[in-house]
Amino acid sequence: MGHTPVVEFLQVQLHIDQQQILTELTFAIEQGQFVGLLGPNGAGKTSLLRLLQKEYHPSSGQIKFKNQPLGSFNQSELAAKVALVSQLSGPLFDLTVADVVLMGLIPHKALWQTNTEQDLLQLKQSLKLVGLADKERHSFAHLSGGEQQRVLLARAVMQKPLLLLLDEPTNHLDLYYQHQVLRIAKALSITVIASIHDLNLASRYCDRLLLLNKGQLVADGTAEQVLTQELLTEVFRIPCLIDQNPFGDCPRVSFGYKDDL
Amino acid sequence: MSKVLLAALPVPLRLLLAIALLLLVCFCALSTGAVPISISALFGLSPLDEMQSTVLWQLRFPRLLLALLAGAGLALCGALLQNASRNPLADPYLFGIVSGAALGATIATIVVPEWQLLTPLFAFFGALLAVFLVLVIGASSRWQRLESLLLCGVAVSFMLSAITTTLLYLSEPFAANRVMFWLMGSLSQASLTHVAFISPLVFITLLLGLLYRRQLDALVLSDESARSLGVNVQPLRLVILLLCAAVSAAIVAFCGGIAFVGLMIPHLVRSLFGLSSVALLLGSVWLGAVFLTGVDTLSRSLLPEQELPIGVVTSAIGSLFFLSMLFKYRRG
Repeated sequence: MGHTPVVEFLQVQLHIDQQQILTELTFAIEQGQFVGLLGPNGAGKTSLLRLLQKEYHPSSGQIKFKNQPLGSFNQSELAAKVALVSQLSGPLFDLTVADVVLMGLIPHKALWQTNTEQDLLQLKQSLKLVGLADKERHSFAHLSGGEQQRVLLARAVMQKPLLLLLDEPTNHLDLYYQHQVLRIAKALSITVIASIHDLNLASRYCDRLLLLNKGQLVADGTAEQVLTQELLTEVFRIPCLIDQNPFGDCPRVSFGYKDDL
Repeated sequence: MSKVLLAALPVPLRLLLAIALLLLVCFCALSTGAVPISISALFGLSPLDEMQSTVLWQLRFPRLLLALLAGAGLALCGALLQNASRNPLADPYLFGIVSGAALGATIATIVVPEWQLLTPLFAFFGALLAVFLVLVIGASSRWQRLESLLLCGVAVSFMLSAITTTLLYLSEPFAANRVMFWLMGSLSQASLTHVAFISPLVFITLLLGLLYRRQLDALVLSDESARSLGVNVQPLRLVILLLCAAVSAAIVAFCGGIAFVGLMIPHLVRSLFGLSSVALLLGSVWLGAVFLTGVDTLSRSLLPEQELPIGVVTSAIGSLFFLSMLFKYRRG
């Protein structure tokens, strides 16, 4: 793992409609780290990801990407380096799996350029990587939620990004696919920032966790450092217990109502 | 099922079939009518008399070109607008284009009858005015939201229709009749000037649509998804809207209200050829051209010595088409 920061937040604040969304965020993410963004609803996880896509702009402070101000990249330059996989609502018009994955070429292709043999080879490799080699000609809309998320991961792979943003990628997926999507993302060996609701998934797959609460960064560190009983009980307002996950060398979180304890 | 059958055919054979069908409707359009012209005469194998020659070159040929262009243009705009707005019911008329054109035509015919010859010009600017109003009103709200833009379109459409109806109500019945007939759509006034005016608009729109094929595909999933791929979503949507407005305004100005083509053809193309933008745009251009040429030939020959307004025929076919879709969904 290298030590070059891919992303740096320097005292970043975000206001939307006079409302403070993020407060004084300062952290740096190194190349190759798999970072989990945790926090209750409204903590600012998605807003933070939107800042990284330049969909929102900081009210104050600075965001750097590869040591350059994020604002100096235009939309297309940024798309060649940052890919996003977000939650999907079913598409209205149907496309084939290949159509969707090939969209990953948009940041790298001029308007008049057609797909080359190399591109089609890369399409097959990306689909193989996510275990969908046989679905190239299938309809995207008719796939299961887990398969659709994997197609979007293949599209992100096609984008050849330095940084992959995952916005609650495991929502609406069953247990098997939740693990599978994160395993594939982890296997890409690129820098990943993922907002995740399930603390045990985050504990299992992330090298580092950032815990947000009401727009503030309240903890930053390994799963052992962040997933503590006091902190989680305070942030999520529900009592919890921490023990060791029997399937891995990571903490396991169990929540319960006061009556249960 | 039809999609499966088509997919089984090799691409060259599909292209050959498409060209054959296009040529077939073109020959039917040129040979059918009050003055029949045989296929052999069309190929120059038998001589044309003077009447046939005049009818062929001065009436049917410009009319065929206009039908091909208008059909292709309306279907192309429908496909682009449906993808860009992710709304399967979007069509070129959704943004008040027809109501604007109708108001323009009404003003030219009723308010200043001495300008009646300029009806197409008035209709064209009326249609552009409608789109301009939609954008201006939309800009004062959050027009980036698709729903706002569509609602503005509906509001402007009703507002302009109300003005047109009031003008028609207050006008003398003969002039009102002329406007009503224009609104029903007709290619009978076709000329090569009309073709020369519309064709560059259609070709530029098609070319841009094909160049931006990947970006249009990306818009189909979601704005956020498209933006993450580097697509400048709002500028792209605005350019598409303006181009489609210009194409539809030109077509409506010269051909009157031809409903349902822009709405129906892209739906049909999706079910036949699939949905990537290239297939959708080229398929819509082809099927739109074939469809409107066929319908125009039909509307000229259904009643003896009389022409049915083409908009009436497209509306009738369109309503049957959507009913059949409804039953298909209910069964499926």
